[in-house]
Amino acid sequence: MTAEQTIGENLPLTGRAASRAQGIRRFKWTVLTPFFALLIFILMPALIAQVFFSLNHFSIFDAGDDDGWRSYLNASEWIGLELFIEVFNDERFLNACIRSLLFASGSTLGCFIVGFGLALLMYRPFRGQALYYIFFILPMLTVPIVIAYTGEMILYQNGPLNDILSRITGMRIDAQFLYKKEIALTTIAFLEVWNWTPFSFIIMMAGLAALPQEPQEAAKILGASKWRIFWEIQLPLLRPVILLCLILRFLESMAEFPKTWGLLQGGPGSATETIPVYIFITTWQYFDISYGAALSYVVLILMVAIVWAGIYFLQREKKNLDEMYFARPDSE
Amino acid sequence: MAMTMSQKRNTFSAFRYFILTIWLLIVAFPMFWMVGTSFKPDKEWFAWPPVYITENATVRNYLIVWANINEYTKADGAHIDEKTGELSQYTQSLQRPWVALRNSTIIAGIATTLAVLFGGVLAYGVSRHNIISEGKMFQLLMLRMVPPIVLIAPISLWYRQIGLLDTITGLVLLYFLTSLPYAVWMAKSFIDEVPREMEQAAEILGASRWRTIWEIVLPLVRSGLVATFLFILILTWSEYLLALLLSKSEVLTLPVELSKYQGSTEGRVYGRQAALSVGITIPLIFVGLIIRKHLARGFSFGMVRR
Repeated sequence: MTAEQTIGENLPLTGRAASRAQGIRRFKWTVLTPFFALLIFILMPALIAQVFFSLNHFSIFDAGDDDGWRSYLNASEWIGLELFIEVFNDERFLNACIRSLLFASGSTLGCFIVGFGLALLMYRPFRGQALYYIFFILPMLTVPIVIAYTGEMILYQNGPLNDILSRITGMRIDAQFLYKKEIALTTIAFLEVWNWTPFSFIIMMAGLAALPQEPQEAAKILGASKWRIFWEIQLPLLRPVILLCLILRFLESMAEFPKTWGLLQGGPGSATETIPVYIFITTWQYFDISYGAALSYVVLILMVAIVWAGIYFLQREKKNLDEMYFARPDSE
Repeated sequence: MAMTMSQKRNTFSAFRYFILTIWLLIVAFPMFWMVGTSFKPDKEWFAWPPVYITENATVRNYLIVWANINEYTKADGAHIDEKTGELSQYTQSLQRPWVALRNSTIIAGIATTLAVLFGGVLAYGVSRHNIISEGKMFQLLMLRMVPPIVLIAPISLWYRQIGLLDTITGLVLLYFLTSLPYAVWMAKSFIDEVPREMEQAAEILGASRWRTIWEIVLPLVRSGLVATFLFILILTWSEYLLALLLSKSEVLTLPVELSKYQGSTEGRVYGRQAALSVGITIPLIFVGLIIRKHLARGFSFGMVRR
């Protein structure tokens, strides 16, 4: 290839490539502009208002109904970081954090163990597989608030669950699943597990089905036991899927609201008062907007940190997942 | 005694059916109880021992909830005004399920359509031209993963300020934003799987980018986008917190409508709640079963395929 030819081929191409790049840039901003506009339009004022409320003492009762933001300004009084100091000394908030963490990690583990167990039993074809699969995903397709109220019908003291347990054990079981402080949060965690086990189940099913067969067969031929194949081949290969499953579930259950609120509104006492419920009560029942804003800010930062960590791990595992799928181009 | 291979297999099979059936019962029982209660007459809701299969099945709960027929009688313990002989205000249902159903359908429908259209185009840009980096794509997940409760109070005040509180538009905008991460990721996972040759051919033949998207890419990923649409429909349909806090009276959605029964003056009305719950749940289950093959992909943001 001579120098002239190279120039001759390259010159028009750079021109076309440049206009192509420009076209892509135009396309990019055509798409992203409305998105950012909406984001700024809705979230920006909210974030600014949040800062304002958390640094001022503000009571909704002092503000008139009709004046809008002017009345908010009139009804507020600058107090600086006082509320944030209060948040950090708030034992109720600390307890809410602990409850949320316990609830989220407990229900995440519960979902995962049950879901993974079921997936391990089911991922090889057998008679009735499709039917079981359909039934097992139903809880995920039920509206959470419906689960809360149906849960109440089943769990209340003279409800069917106590009756069934009594019949099975032969003793009169009379548990107050919802109205006893010690077990109320656990009960809700069980409802969460019931609700979201299908999530872990379908993801682990998909993960197991996508595992490459060759290493397992090779190990089998070499005489490895099933147990060893599971621990040393399947489990390491499944790691990205497992982490994905745990992270997404954990983040979602940190924000769980309909079931905790719908069933118990934080009660009995404050036994089920998780972070979202506490913020809700502060803002929408005590109408303490300022303290609610300060709380929200602390939680926002806390959650952004947790989500950030979660996303970091997800991003790392996504690479492994993609490699897994690209290694098997023949798969669906 | 050592078992032969086939004995082992049979034991495992029996064990499997045993465990799976236990879980099947755990899954099915609440569903069964919900449907069962919706057909029970009032006095059986709290009966002890609980009535498992009612012998006096009635559709009265459905009529009262969905057709707003007030069939309370003295036997039900209803307050009847002595003078006029009519039902007192307390016993009349204040619920408007059809309005809620309409709201839910409109809000979920519009928000989902917007999210899928926009998400689809954005996903195309990401898949084909890398218009946003993978890191930014992951940051997009923040929109979904940070709990909305932390911003909902100022958003509601802001909405009041600009007149979006208690409007369909207000809820649609927020649902659009929160379901966008799912839409983009799920659509991208479908678009990634479509070969690029046809687009390249179209480009060489001089088709504009938008024309390529509308006439080549979208038709090719149509079934994937339909799955994305239905998946997001499930999420927006069952959303509770935003709907509860951003609607006052006008734009009640079905989950909020249901929660009104809990604090109502009528006391605990399990049968009515169940009748409404059944109505809310059936469309979701129907939709969910249609896309059951894509649920894993949806919930995992397209990271787990198949």
